[in-house]
Amino acid sequence: MFGQLLINGLITGAIYALVSSGFSLIYSVCKFVHFAHGVVVTLSGYFLYFLFLKLGFNFWFSVIFSIIFVSLLGFLIDKIIYKELRKRKASNTILLIASVALLIFFESLILILFGADVKTISYIKISKGLEIFNAIITPLQIIIIIVSIILLILLFLFIKKTKLGKAMRAVADNKDVAEVIGISAEKVYSWSFIIGSVIAGIAGILVGLEQNLDPTMGTSLMIKGFTAAIIGGVDSVPGAILGSFLLGLIENFSTWFLPSSYRDVMVFIILLIFLLFRPQGILGVKRW
Amino acid sequence: MIPAYLIHLLILICIYLILAISLQLSVGFTGLLNLGHIAFYAIGAYTSALLALNGFPFWFCFLSAGILAMIFGFLLSLPTNKLKGDYLALATMGFSFVVYAVLLNWTSLTRGPLGLPGIPKPKIFGISFSDNFSFLILVAIIAIISYLIIKRITISPFGKVLEAIRDNELIVRVLGKNTFKMKSLALMVSSFFAGIAGSLYAHYITFIDPSSFTLLQLIPVLSIVIIGGLASLEGTILATIILVLLPEPLRFIGFPSSIVGPARQILYALLLLLILIYKPKGFYGRVSL
Repeated sequence: MFGQLLINGLITGAIYALVSSGFSLIYSVCKFVHFAHGVVVTLSGYFLYFLFLKLGFNFWFSVIFSIIFVSLLGFLIDKIIYKELRKRKASNTILLIASVALLIFFESLILILFGADVKTISYIKISKGLEIFNAIITPLQIIIIIVSIILLILLFLFIKKTKLGKAMRAVADNKDVAEVIGISAEKVYSWSFIIGSVIAGIAGILVGLEQNLDPTMGTSLMIKGFTAAIIGGVDSVPGAILGSFLLGLIENFSTWFLPSSYRDVMVFIILLIFLLFRPQGILGVKRW
Repeated sequence: MIPAYLIHLLILICIYLILAISLQLSVGFTGLLNLGHIAFYAIGAYTSALLALNGFPFWFCFLSAGILAMIFGFLLSLPTNKLKGDYLALATMGFSFVVYAVLLNWTSLTRGPLGLPGIPKPKIFGISFSDNFSFLILVAIIAIISYLIIKRITISPFGKVLEAIRDNELIVRVLGKNTFKMKSLALMVSSFFAGIAGSLYAHYITFIDPSSFTLLQLIPVLSIVIIGGLASLEGTILATIILVLLPEPLRFIGFPSSIVGPARQILYALLLLLILIYKPKGFYGRVSL
């Protein structure tokens, strides 16, 4: 029982980590809550479904194309909506409301195009699970954990080592000073949206393969993603990853003493506790 | 005689009006970006419905709906009082997800996703409001009273203090006002009216289930508040009428009902985005977010 909950917690945590790391990357660079990040996850899953099952393309081609599609989408959302708002000196509250509106917009669009029923992409056949520490784990779940760990390491190295990563950190730290030394903040914003959306797109594909697709799955993943980001520290990507795994574990272990349908309630209680006592999160720095 | 369809729309306008002016009180006048307003509406609807199904008279259900929502408003204000901006928005939104999850999962009380059917139409002192026309009169009276009360609050000294808190909370504190108490009160009044709007909705539709109280339902109300303009009650009335009527033509174009719902949401979302970009103060807004 313990081993199974541990493994389930890690799988859940790995998926949350992919959602929340992109979200917190965008938050730390652009300084606003990009709630529509959740629907990017959903769209990627649906796009894969459309290309692979409806149009019958090769699986890997569909995967790559879905990821390109959502990164373009992230880029365009920033360019068309957020940039316009920034130009008009909109506060981050307005940006937050706009992102909720975008979330509802795309969710309803998916509902119209694909209908409300759940979709399954059964590319990887559900084979018999392996047994590790008295717990059962399927090969797909192992892939999820490995892919997310590799991606998170790559993201970490990208932020620490590359020139663009350093520019992102500079803008996150102090936008005006970064612009003085010749970093274009708008360009950095675009890149953080593209990179965040790529990670979200991969998350969407993994969720689509592991579970089912439904139009509102992005919203619930987003809620978990931002809860995780707040637990870990919303403007720190490592914090968001730590928070995600913690949340995944808490959620699964809470089923030990609560009915499993109350998992979500548990998550929000944790969110409220953190907002109340440590709004900057575990690794965050207090700024207000 | 007014056609039944028009009566239905007018009833919706009245219910949305109560919901929107109460949200206006917290968002526009006090500057609390409350994205959990729908939760109070849900609490009101379920309280009223459950009491009515257990045989309590309408006036009692109605008032209990408001009061219970108000109590939850008070409880929510305790942990969120110090939060601002994004964090307040996320915490209140989190609260609405908790309420939704509880409604969905506490099946012994709320019947979960099956919902509560057969909520009786209101009856006050022997007068039955079972047909839509008399119900419209009832809702209209309640909407007007709610409007007058909130109008009175906003022009009272208390309302002025709320607006001062919105503009600069620190200064109000320096002047010796207890801003926590004031914000808490504002949220309580706001949630009281959301609760009674929920009660009216439950007794009008006579069936409620958790899916009527999600983030999707917040978008029209929030759009009304922003499009009407923050801190403007007149703007809110105008925006309520426009936004309730706006998606109606979709029904006549002949779309199937499975598309009308999402199409309406798309319309609201687009409108909200356009307003935020091109006219962030709405029609009569006096302040910006």
